[in-house]
Amino acid sequence: MENSLAISGLSASYGHVLALQDVSLTVEPGETVALLGTNGNGKSSLMKCVMGLLRPSAGSIVARIDGESIDLVGLATEEIVGRGVILVPEGRHLLPKLSVEENLYLGALRRQARPHIRRNLEASYDLFPRLAERRRQAAGSMSGGEQQMVALARALMAEPKILLIDEPSVGLAPIVVKLVIDAIAELKARLGLTVLMAEQNFHQAIRVADRGYVIVHGSIEFEGRSTAELRENELVRKLYLGG
Amino acid sequence: MVSFDLLANAVVSGVLLGGFYAGVAAGATISFGLLDIANIAHPAFVVFGAYGAFVLGQRFGLDPLVAALFVVPVFYLAGLAVHQVYHRAFERRGDDSMRGLAFFFGLMFVGEVVLILLFGVDYRYTSAAYASTSIKIGPVALPLRQLIPFLGALVILAAAQLFLSRTFIGRAILGVAQDATAIRLMGADPVRLKRIAFAISIALAGAAGALLLVLEPVEPAIGREFIGRVFAIAVLGGMGSLPGTWIAAVMLGVIENLTSIFAGASWAPAVSFGFLLLTLAVRPSGLFGR
Repeated sequence: MENSLAISGLSASYGHVLALQDVSLTVEPGETVALLGTNGNGKSSLMKCVMGLLRPSAGSIVARIDGESIDLVGLATEEIVGRGVILVPEGRHLLPKLSVEENLYLGALRRQARPHIRRNLEASYDLFPRLAERRRQAAGSMSGGEQQMVALARALMAEPKILLIDEPSVGLAPIVVKLVIDAIAELKARLGLTVLMAEQNFHQAIRVADRGYVIVHGSIEFEGRSTAELRENELVRKLYLGG
Repeated sequence: MVSFDLLANAVVSGVLLGGFYAGVAAGATISFGLLDIANIAHPAFVVFGAYGAFVLGQRFGLDPLVAALFVVPVFYLAGLAVHQVYHRAFERRGDDSMRGLAFFFGLMFVGEVVLILLFGVDYRYTSAAYASTSIKIGPVALPLRQLIPFLGALVILAAAQLFLSRTFIGRAILGVAQDATAIRLMGADPVRLKRIAFAISIALAGAAGALLLVLEPVEPAIGREFIGRVFAIAVLGGMGSLPGTWIAAVMLGVIENLTSIFAGASWAPAVSFGFLLLTLAVRPSGLFGR
């Protein structure tokens, strides 16, 4: 299962506002790569470009899935999801009036995921026992942390080949952030997924990431080939570590 | 003084009538409740369905219930086409609320005129023999012309409910109005889902039309009588809940019938709106809103 993602020279804008400028990054098979940056620096725009929700003005996004190279630029979101590139979106985007289990079933809407629905549902409940207790509850009535768990489990239901996670910690209490990051680490350990995670919480992000990029004003300003390199970088110190 | 027999008959016939209303409202619950499409022409489509069943009965001697089997697929296709037009002209541009409403109003009037040109304004009815027989249980009469639409509507609602709650497409339809982006991120095209759901709502209207022909004679503008009821039921039922729709419809049928006995038949049409206003004041999400 050699699944990887290569983005090169990617630029995108909203009208006249430039969101991404010549961004290049790679995620190798089985790696978890962090995309670090504070609010409004282009993390979500990058995720949207990969998912076909925002059309880039230049550059390429190539996913290598099960040995096949696919250029994602120009494909419809449904096709990109169909290939197994799955996003856990910022703000979670659960269907609030549907139950937890109905949300999870919808994760398996992708045709390739349907045969494995039972196995993946069990795996989801095994990973998040809390969701098993609340499977009949409306997703919108759960706490923020629980909703994030539903969003992660829903992505798991889709049998992701490449998993994108956008700001899993946003709006959550610190102790809940830790729980969510633990869950992502567990997911990674169990499934060996290829993951790109956008996050502004540096300390939590480097607990699961193998390496990372720092994005500032839509450009990659630093590439850390290990978490140690990230920690020692001047820019990271300035932005996150108060030094 | 109102006798027990009269009361019992009024309640039973109210339940039967209400059950039929649920069949008429089922499609509107999907289009209005789940898709946010204010298809005010929904009752008009029910009347088109009734005329469809009437023509099939006259030409080929088909019973209205058999005719429904032919009406449903044709109406499904018509629903796909209507949504295509609606989506291109309004939904995609984002000005679907007021202009969309005007579109469906227009559709309703044009449809009525076409029916008048084709069939005239006379009442049309089915020649099915059971339309004039009745089962008696003690003092209570169960006229088949009411019982069959009641049971038929139950089948319509059960089938639609199973589809929505048990299939992938059905569950996605339940979610599409809540968050279209979320549905896209799970690999489905929201526009396609809405088109399918809208077509189903029109197909249900066609089926309900065949039941209407069993219940009573029809004329081109008879759908107007149902506009208030249908939208009241969809809202009362909790916007998008089919079981809620059934219960709300049966309650409305019983209250309407009791009102016409105690206060006179001319008060009956006021009941649905009175009931609606009262409920919205007390419980804005409808009786069975999620």
